[in-house]
Amino acid sequence: MTCFSGELFDGVTSRAHPVTATLGDGTLHIEGDGIALAVPLGDVNVAPPVGAARGVVHLPQGRELHSTDLAALAQLTRARPTRSPERWARTLESRFGYALAALVVSVVVVFAGLRWGVPTASKLAAHTLPAGLDARIGKESLALMEKFSLNPSKLPAARRQAIAQRLAEQCRIQACPTHLLLFRDSQMFGPNAMALPGGAVVVTDALVKLSRHDDEVLAVIAHELGHVQHRHSLRLALQSIGAGVILVAVTGDISSVTDLAAGLPSLLLRSGYSRDMEREADAYALVWLKTACISSRRFAEILSRIDKSTSETNLLDSHPGTQERIQPFLAARGCT
Amino acid sequence: MSSSKHYPMQFTGAGGEYFVIWIVNIALTLVTLGIYSAWAKVRTLRWFYGHTLLDNQAFSYLASPMQILKGRLIALAALVAYYATSYFAPMLAVLLLLAFFIAMPWIVVSGLRFHARMSAYRGLRFDFTGTLGEAAVIYILLPLLILPTLGLILPYMAYRQVRFVAGNTVYGQTAARYEGSLKPFWGVYLLAFALLVLPLVAVGYGFYQAYQLQAAGLPKEMAGAAAAASIGGGLIFFYLMLPIVSAMIMARTANLFYNATELGPVGFMSSQRARDLIWIYLSNLILVALTLGMFIPWAKVRLARYRAGHLTVSGPADLGQFTAGQQQGSTATGAEMADLFDLNLGLT
Repeated sequence: MTCFSGELFDGVTSRAHPVTATLGDGTLHIEGDGIALAVPLGDVNVAPPVGAARGVVHLPQGRELHSTDLAALAQLTRARPTRSPERWARTLESRFGYALAALVVSVVVVFAGLRWGVPTASKLAAHTLPAGLDARIGKESLALMEKFSLNPSKLPAARRQAIAQRLAEQCRIQACPTHLLLFRDSQMFGPNAMALPGGAVVVTDALVKLSRHDDEVLAVIAHELGHVQHRHSLRLALQSIGAGVILVAVTGDISSVTDLAAGLPSLLLRSGYSRDMEREADAYALVWLKTACISSRRFAEILSRIDKSTSETNLLDSHPGTQERIQPFLAARGCT
Repeated sequence: MSSSKHYPMQFTGAGGEYFVIWIVNIALTLVTLGIYSAWAKVRTLRWFYGHTLLDNQAFSYLASPMQILKGRLIALAALVAYYATSYFAPMLAVLLLLAFFIAMPWIVVSGLRFHARMSAYRGLRFDFTGTLGEAAVIYILLPLLILPTLGLILPYMAYRQVRFVAGNTVYGQTAARYEGSLKPFWGVYLLAFALLVLPLVAVGYGFYQAYQLQAAGLPKEMAGAAAAASIGGGLIFFYLMLPIVSAMIMARTANLFYNATELGPVGFMSSQRARDLIWIYLSNLILVALTLGMFIPWAKVRLARYRAGHLTVSGPADLGQFTAGQQQGSTATGAEMADLFDLNLGLT
């Protein structure tokens, strides 16, 4: 027979009534000074205990029975017909070994989820989403960029045409993803090229001016086509959402203690994902250039001209270090 | 004359005890793809409430995990809708943002109401009676005035927030009164402003010195390097100052919140010190970073213990004389939205 002492609150006033509770015949008998209650076990609702925190039993009519006798409350919980799924959590919390296992599971799930789960899931999602969606997003972001950071190209029309023609020729020989080549002048981006969702490839005037051969521009375009082929812009957006979900699951209710601590990891993650995608686009470019019979050195050359510092890869960089990137392009053999 | 008595607030939870609960919560949340997070939240709050004692009686948290889960799913749907549209149809996202802005008063009021109604002490629930109109003034109108007034509205805004939250809290059927004045809030924000200006002054002084060096005939590069060093130093100084200032604001606001609130015959005395809170926040931040997050449970417990330890309730010798009020149901949607969008409701 379960018997324990506690304090009863009647839900009408804040007065605490010292009582003794006894469990018998499927009824909880609560007795104290001027109190004699008999509550059927079905109406007794034991708040699942957490740690060593004081236990609360909810009774009909807003009554609460508080007790520090957690062992007795556990017996009372077991006697009840329905059981809360929280008893599993209670079991896991009860032994140090289980908690350690929970720690290991958490670390493994978070690591594997971030490293493989999120990229794989977003890859699948990106390829199931309709292509028209990309095109719409791309149109919107292009319109936005043209408003703020892109101006019409000032390059001679002949130069633009020559490059566009070379690309078109290549795309008759080998498979290219659906794309739209655009030349734009931009103060903000400098010598650069961007692949927008939906296949728009924007090449800045500064990049064309920096190049010493049209093949160099074509090599950069090949890299951007890699981004288009693998739908990277959509995937990166999906991945940062996925990673955000995992980070929120870990930090729980985002509180000010962890806000600053969570900022850096998410930045690290985003740049990590971005570097993976750059590598994927580089690999695509390498194959594309080989098929096109364009020396892959062209890519290495213009890349080292864009980034003179030929830096090492840093954790916070969105691109791998130039030294690392140009290596396969210098080593690759030409077409046969 | 009834005799008055002081009741210190106590927090009896230990970091190690919470660590186990915390890590099991995370593991189960991950394994169940986030569904368990509602149970995790309820268990966490029940633990914190059950370890918070006043007059040797614990607080109790009453929300059921299913309520939280429903609220969470609705809030999540709103967030996903916003994310999706901001990416796929930015114009629609702007409209959603506008709708969210308009819904703010409701989110705030229903969030505070849910939180209050799910909290009980000695078997009596709390309640929150703030109106949508007042919330609209405080959480829409006043924030819109921050820019035009160059931030001069901030002390008034903080004051109104505290008055709104404290003055509309009800325990049983006893309504709280907030009798603080605006003046001390000016003190808090002027100090915050001064502390944030300090690094900028350092930068300015660096520039001045660089100018002097150049005037004294030093080469341009050296003067430039001196200026760069002072800017860099000033920026680091500024970023170090941010958590210090926010901890200072939090400590002072908590004191202003409690010390001017009366709940029937009961008064509060809060004695948080800015420097203590700054120390707790900074050391927590460093330890959390060094332990890759493993210190988070201890960090939260430290903070809870400090806050409870610096709050005393003064009241009649018998706290058993409060009576219950009418209670209605409440949904968690607003509360979970406020949580998910990281709104600061001015809860301290």
